[in-house]
Order: sequence, then structure tokens, then C-alpha cells
Amino acid sequence: MPPVNGTFCVTVMKDQCINARMPGKCATCVEVCPYDVYAIDQAGKVHVQNYNACVGCRICAEFCPEDAIRINPAESEFLVRAPWTFPQVEEIHYKAQTGEYMLRGFGAMGFAPTFDQITVVPSQLASPAPRDKYREECNLEVVIGEDTCENPIRLRYPLFFAAMSFGAVSREARMALAIGAALTGIMSNTGEGGLLKDETWLIKGYENEERTLRRWEPGGYLVVQWSTGRWGVSADYVRAGDAVEIKIGQGAKPGMGGHLLGAKVTAEIAAVRGVPVGSDALSPCRYYDVQDLEDMKRMVAFLRDVTNYRVPIFFKLGPSRPYEDVRACIEAGADAISIDGLVGGTGASPAIVTQGVGIPTLALIPPAVRALKEMGVHHKVKLFILGGIRNGLDAYKAIAMGADAVGFGAAAEIAMGCRACMACHTGRCAYGITSQDPELRARLNPEEAGQRLANFIKATAEEIKILAMLSGHDDIRNLSEEDLRAMDLNTAAISGLKLIGYERRLPWWEDEREKQPHPA
Amino acid sequence: MSLVTDARKRDLPSFSRELNVMAHVVDASDRDLRSVSTELRRSMARGPVVMRKVAHLHGLVAGIKSGEVAIEGDSGDYLGVLNDGATIHVTGNAGRYLADNMTRGMVIVEGNASYGAAPYCYGGTVVVKGNAGDFTAVMNKGATIIIGGNVGDDVATYMLAGEVVIVGNAGKNLGNYLIRGNIYIGGEWANLGHNTRLEPMTEADQAKLRGYFDEYGIEADPETFQKIGRLSEKPFYKAKAPVQPEAR
Repeated sequence: MPPVNGTFCVTVMKDQCINARMPGKCATCVEVCPYDVYAIDQAGKVHVQNYNACVGCRICAEFCPEDAIRINPAESEFLVRAPWTFPQVEEIHYKAQTGEYMLRGFGAMGFAPTFDQITVVPSQLASPAPRDKYREECNLEVVIGEDTCENPIRLRYPLFFAAMSFGAVSREARMALAIGAALTGIMSNTGEGGLLKDETWLIKGYENEERTLRRWEPGGYLVVQWSTGRWGVSADYVRAGDAVEIKIGQGAKPGMGGHLLGAKVTAEIAAVRGVPVGSDALSPCRYYDVQDLEDMKRMVAFLRDVTNYRVPIFFKLGPSRPYEDVRACIEAGADAISIDGLVGGTGASPAIVTQGVGIPTLALIPPAVRALKEMGVHHKVKLFILGGIRNGLDAYKAIAMGADAVGFGAAAEIAMGCRACMACHTGRCAYGITSQDPELRARLNPEEAGQRLANFIKATAEEIKILAMLSGHDDIRNLSEEDLRAMDLNTAAISGLKLIGYERRLPWWEDEREKQPHPA
Repeated sequence: MSLVTDARKRDLPSFSRELNVMAHVVDASDRDLRSVSTELRRSMARGPVVMRKVAHLHGLVAGIKSGEVAIEGDSGDYLGVLNDGATIHVTGNAGRYLADNMTRGMVIVEGNASYGAAPYCYGGTVVVKGNAGDFTAVMNKGATIIIGGNVGDDVATYMLAGEVVIVGNAGKNLGNYLIRGNIYIGGEWANLGHNTRLEPMTEADQAKLRGYFDEYGIEADPETFQKIGRLSEKPFYKAKAPVQPEAR
């Protein structure tokens, strides 16, 4: 198996391990590990057979009844040899052996700038008084498409689940996302993998197809994605969504099409996508039915027509030239534009593309907002930001910088149980989230995972509420850049926020502000 | 190559000849997509429709599940996009991206189609009596696409199922990364794409083509046709067998 991210020391403490003391009595680690790190011999003794296969998911440590296992990163001894660290050496060995490039799941690792060098400005004397989070209200609702379609989307919180395709993730994960969105009144997104019928009623809070058994309130929204692969796309598919999202790119592999490796193309997925079982499903990188902006406008127009002018039309962009790209989407007629940053994850992508291609999420926001403001549609055409958003603090900062809502992909998976071992592309996800193996999928309970997702969203919404209210706001639509400060020069240079201490924007941003038209 | 091969031209669907007086006529001059489409959907539900002056509209007859429409003259781009069962007949030329992502139904064009004709189609039949452009039948996933004239480059790229019949000549990269399905071609081609090979034509193939040509009034001799199929079903980067339940 090709190397995954990081090398781990697997330590089993023999004094505590049941199997070490009584061979044959416990083999939990063997059973739970999908990577064959452990093996059990004829005598019933468990031993570590291949610690190199360990991806650091820690499921063995979690499930060990005696807490006898420790999984630790093993790299420290090699760091002095940087750049020739152990993972780098392994990577070159792999290429020399196979002639192939590395693929992996998840998003970029170890990136700056993040939102961490931005701080929130609370309210004191020089601004409207703070609001009381415990006793007063704060409006968190976001409405999309109210001027353009019959059924606008009313998100209860400025949050949503990012697109994760069926195929990249399991059926159970898709169902959990639908239930989580139904419990919180937000959106889930089909991604490129086609639509599972169950999602259409789960998302509305119903347990059954007839929609007679209502289980989850208040009900959410399902966005169907229209992408380069068109897997499972038909008129019915397009009409099944509460919005249609035209996918141009994504953070993890902008400029490339979706990648679903053969190991995950089971009979069910092959049937939905129309590829042979076991064969890689590689979406094309571009639309063969769009050659220029005029075609894109026509595409938006016919998607509105097919859905009878009822639902909003979104665009999803990868991180490229945000100002120009957002302008193009606005001209094409979008109701909302999502931009996914460099750190955004995926099921499988060439490692160099995930790590090396794109723009960090933070830096996408100012140019996107500038495009929206210049065309007079800021907050009318909604801006959605995704890519490595971790919590309510990150979300608040993105919103204050001008976004309307913030998406969770990796964070949502982690809420479902993921441990960010980044081995999604192998199809051996120990938690059944990004696997198609029925035994591994059985580890994920959609209802339980849906509840965990809802809990995570609610906690995140509370965080946003706290920050908004201590800053003097009772409505997130009133947030602005004045609510934030950059804490170092780099971040001030990139974000256009005022720098702490200096209490002004850096000079070239000041000039920008003077040139811009005043907001309406 | 002649524009329309028509020694035995198929009759226009009966409705537009005999029932012309009963078909609902939609004149789209100076009208926008929304107004024409609304009228079209209402009328098609009640009976056959004849449309005129639609060349300035794009994405017409989108996602309709049943009914018949005849378009007199030329049509714009994206005609019949997401078609799910309607029969669409164009007497003139069609614009680009004809029958984009069609899943069921029938589209017949007497004249030429353009760039990207019949892309991403899952099913149904598209017949273009004249020529079609580059990237015709790209990512075909099960439709039957018949072109009575010539086609351009990159035709049937990444085809995953279905069949493409080309009576005339093709350009470069024919059938590039064909995964499944077949291309039947009566003329010549500039070069074949990756993962393709010539396969022998069988009696059944010839009978099938003969059936198509008779039905659609196309003048062509199936015995002069050649067949192109795939080399490997899994031509891309290392495919591993998926984990199937029985294997554990």
C-alpha cells in the first residue's frame, strides 16, 4: 500500500493488554483495524504485523477495552533531516517503485495563513453596547434567492454542509448529513456522486418515502450538484433539489475533475455513475457544453427553466482568481457563489494538487467581496466560504469579512467520527465514512451521526452568537470588517483588515477603500 | 458530403402534416425563454406543438417528459437539454449542445447540428441527418446517436455506454478513452483516440444499422461500415478491485 500521511509508533502495553496476558481472550484491535496493522496467529496471540501500514486513525486505541494501546507520531527523530524527512523518503521510494504519483484524501496540511492571526473586536464604549447572549436574541438566518425564485432557501444558521459525493463517502454518511441538516434547518449537498433517493425525504425530516413519519424538525434543504461528470443527472435529479449548484471546481483539486478510485467503485456506485465496477471514475476537468460566459448564462437560464423558476442557482468555485471568477458568476446570473479554499478536502486527489494548488481560504474573501460590491450585489448574491473552517470563531471571521454563510466539509466528517488520518482514498475508512466496504460502513449509524452533526452545528451557531452579541450585534447581517483586527503584518496585508496597534488598514488598502463606491 | 441524405426521407411526424390545423402553434419571435417555455409546457401537455422563429432561444424544450414538438426552421443552443421523453423534430439546423444530458426521448434534426451535439446523454435517440461538430456524443452514457453526415474532432470522447453511428467522416481523436459502447462509421477518420481498436462488424451489427437507416430515411450501406470498440475497460491509473461483500 502506498504510504499515507505520517508514520506512527504503535505501542501496546503488555501489562494491560488482555491478549498478552491471556492469548485468545481479546482480539479487538485486530477486528477494528482496517489496515491490517495487527494480526492474530494460530495460538491466539496478537502482534503488530505491519506498523508501517498504520494511518494514525487511533481506532484501536479507542476500542481497546484496557486502554493498552498508544499511537504516537514517529517523525520527530527524522525532522532534523528536513527536507528529507521519513515521509519524503517514503514518497520517493514509492514513485521509484511504481512510477506513479501519490494520491490521498482530505485537504492540505500545515497551512498558513489561517484565520488564527485575526482577532475579534468586542464592544466597549466606543461602539453600540454589547448584547446579552443569555437573555437577548440574535438573528442568524440567511435567505437565498428571495428576489429571483419562488422557493428561496431560509437557512436557520449561516452554516451548511459542504458537498461530499456518494462514492467518496458512504451511503450512511450521506444519510447522516441529510439528518443533520434536517435537525438544524441548513443545507446538505449531493456533490458529484448522484442522488440517493433516501436523502430527498430524510432532508425534510421524514423517515419514509411516503413522508408520513416525521422524525426530525425543522427540516433542511438539499442542494443538487451539476458538475463535469454529470453522474446520475437527469431532469428528475435537477428537480429533486432545493437548489442547483453548478460546480466549476473545488479546493482540493481545482482545475481537475472529481476522482473516485476503482477501489471504491462498487456495483451500486457503478450503477449510479455509469462506469464499470472497479474502474476509476474520473470526471472531466471542464464542461464540454460550455465554451464561454455566454454559454454559462444560458446554462443558468435553462436550469432555472427546468426547475420552473422555483429554486436558487448556485455556483461553486475552486480557489483561483476570485475577483474575476466571482464577477463571471454574477454575470452568469448566480443566486449564490461558493468558494472553496486551498485547505478544502476531498476523497482522493493527487497529493501535490491538494498540497500545492490554490489559494488559502482567508485570502479568497477580500477579492470576492470586492467583486460583489463593485457589481452592487454584495449580500444580495450570497457568498459562501469553505475550506478548513473549524469552528464558530473561523465562521464568524469569514462572515465579518463579508461572507453570508460558511460550509463544513472536513469538520462535518470529524463530527461524524473521522480522525483526519487522511486515508480516505484507500476506501478503508475505519469509521465507515469514506468507505464502501459493507463491514466498515456498518460502523456508522446514520441517526447517531446525524445527531452528532446537528450537535456540532448548534454548538458552532452558539459560538457565532456569542461573538456577534459581545460585539454589539443582534443580527449577523450587520457584521463588518470593523469587527475584526489583523494581528500581524502578513494578515493585515492579505485581508485588508485594520492592523492592531496601528488601528488602520495598511496603506494600499486605504487607497482601495477611497476608490470603491459607498455601499448602498 | 450532401447536407441531408434523403433519397427516402422520413415523413415529418404525422402530427405536423395531417394535424397541422390541430397542433398548437407557438411563434417565438421577439419573446424570451421564460414566456415561450411556459406556453410550450402547457401546450405540450395537451397535444402536439409546432414552433417557429426559435433560433434566438437557448435551452428550449428542457426536461420535458412526454409530448411532441416540431420546430420549423433553425433552433438555438441546448435544444432538448435534459429531455426525458419528448419527441423533438427540427426541420432546419440545430445549435450547439443538442439534447444535452438527455435521458429518454427522441430528437431528430433534418439539417446540421453543431459543436458538442448530444453530450452526456443517458438514453434516448438523437438523429442528425446532416453534419455535427467537434465533441459530438462526448461522455455518451447510453444513448443512440446517429449522424447522417460528417462529424468533427474528439467525437465520442470518454463514451461510457450506448452507440454512435457516423455515416460520413470523422476528424481526430475518434472515441478518445472509449470505455464501453461502440462507434459505427461509414466514412474515414483522421485518427483514433486512446483505448480504441477496430472490431469486426457482425451480421447483427449490419442488421441493426439497416434498421436505423430504414427507420430514419438515411441513405447508407451498412456493409461499408466499420466498428470501433474499446481496448480496456479500465484504461486509467491503476484500478483495484472493489471490496465486495462475498470476498470477506
